[in-house]
Amino acid sequence: MTDPLEPRKIFGVYHLSKQYGDRMVLRDVNLQVGNGEFVFLVGPSGAGKSTLLRLIYMDESPNEGQVIVGSFVSTNMKRHDISYLRRKLGIIFQDFRLLEDRDVFENVAIAMRVTGETNYNIKRRVMQVLTQVGLYHKRYDRPVTLSGGEQQRVAIARAVVNSPEILLADEPTGNLDPEVTAEIIQLLFRINSAGTAVLMATHNHELVKNFGQRIVFLRDGTIEEDRRLGLAAFKKDRIGVFQHVGRTAGDGRDMREDR
Amino acid sequence: MQESFSTLGRHKAVTFLSVVIMSLSLLVLAVFLLATDNVFTFFERTRQEMTVFVYLSDDLSLSDEVSWATVEDHHKWLLSMEMVEAVEFISKDQAMEEFRNELGEERSVLDVLEANPLPASFRVTLKPEYRDKVNIERFAGAVTTMDFVEEVNYGRDFIEQFASVTRAFLYVDLVLGLIVIVSSIFIIANTVRLTILSRRKSIEILKLVGATNRFITAPFVIEGAFQGGLAALLSLVLLFLVFLVLKGMLPDLTFLGLSKILLYVLTCVMLGAIGSFASLRRHLKL
Repeated sequence: MTDPLEPRKIFGVYHLSKQYGDRMVLRDVNLQVGNGEFVFLVGPSGAGKSTLLRLIYMDESPNEGQVIVGSFVSTNMKRHDISYLRRKLGIIFQDFRLLEDRDVFENVAIAMRVTGETNYNIKRRVMQVLTQVGLYHKRYDRPVTLSGGEQQRVAIARAVVNSPEILLADEPTGNLDPEVTAEIIQLLFRINSAGTAVLMATHNHELVKNFGQRIVFLRDGTIEEDRRLGLAAFKKDRIGVFQHVGRTAGDGRDMREDR
Repeated sequence: MQESFSTLGRHKAVTFLSVVIMSLSLLVLAVFLLATDNVFTFFERTRQEMTVFVYLSDDLSLSDEVSWATVEDHHKWLLSMEMVEAVEFISKDQAMEEFRNELGEERSVLDVLEANPLPASFRVTLKPEYRDKVNIERFAGAVTTMDFVEEVNYGRDFIEQFASVTRAFLYVDLVLGLIVIVSSIFIIANTVRLTILSRRKSIEILKLVGATNRFITAPFVIEGAFQGGLAALLSLVLLFLVFLVLKGMLPDLTFLGLSKILLYVLTCVMLGAIGSFASLRRHLKL
């Protein structure tokens, strides 16, 4: 764990257990994620992926164990601190969770407004992020008028607008068709390559097994396997999978160029 | 601030509905206030009319010329008292005249009288703040001991009854008022809960992106205050309609004064704000 060649740990959970009533959802889970790392959290529905993520963004507190995110420690958190923790995280979900009553711009801007940022800075940064996710031209549209992929890109823009060090993604592609799924994953890689650590939960092992990223398997509340691939495998496999996803989607685009 | 008004704009239908529901529940409070106000006005008016009659000893009132000076003295003495507002002297003849007028048709019965049996008197009006049972009794006690005084009459029975009736009314009114206010708060909190539940998703999202509780609650509290004010105004309009109907049956009925209206609106604004805040705390584990 103190290997100086390993990236600095940006967040981790230690001996984490969570129980709802009699049901053990997580059992002695240990997981650390390094700075700028990309980790897939894979497991069937009900394995405890969402609960693990909720514990990391401290929507729930563990029955046992500890969550450490940056300088925030779960056993030492006051309610007030949680807001400040959330500002250091970006979070996206399967169901996008956009504010239906505001346009795209405001949906992204809200994450900065809560920090008390000036209007000038908000405008500048939101425009920049919307351009990056390719939705600048739809900034005045309401979320309902957008496609699923576009809505998820709005959510991603909101998640990264404060330049977080960590992005948590809970089944971000669960509601999307394969083509759009590839686009979203590609976008997450792009965000990751800019230095943000990403933890993406998914039930779809097939989807992510060939990207060459670290994959953590979660089953019945315990970590079954933590698979890290070597650098060679990583490069080869990732290229392969972009082709694989592209082929599944049937558009034949070569996504290596975007990387 | 900016957040809350844009929210109001975004949720016109929900806002309108909750304002209507709130105003209906506030109407009960308003009717209660109107009734209380009018009953107290009536009590106040009755208190205004309270006077104390100080009957003078007959030997004093018989020898007119000699006693004028002393009557003046007594008049001055009464007036010099802190509680006294006005003193009116009623001579034997005036008293007889008034009695005759009161008898009306029957006044001929007085013709058999050889002398005027009625005493002269002072009609004393106390200052408003002293027109209660305790002070009137104190005054009567002090004056009765004087040797020029035959008797003091202040309608003891009436005053005692009046005191117990006002006290009883006050208690009943307080209890009723408490019930009405508590039920208003309950209804407002429930109405606000509807608004909050309808926006639960938005609140969750705000929490996810790191909004502090203050950032989330402030718009709701301001909105609750605003809705409370609107509902208060609407309920006042409804109250005025009720008032117009009742006025036909009770012509003495008066509407709430400006200061009471302001106080009422202010109270409703507070109720709205408090209702919102309490509801948020309860339903959102903020």
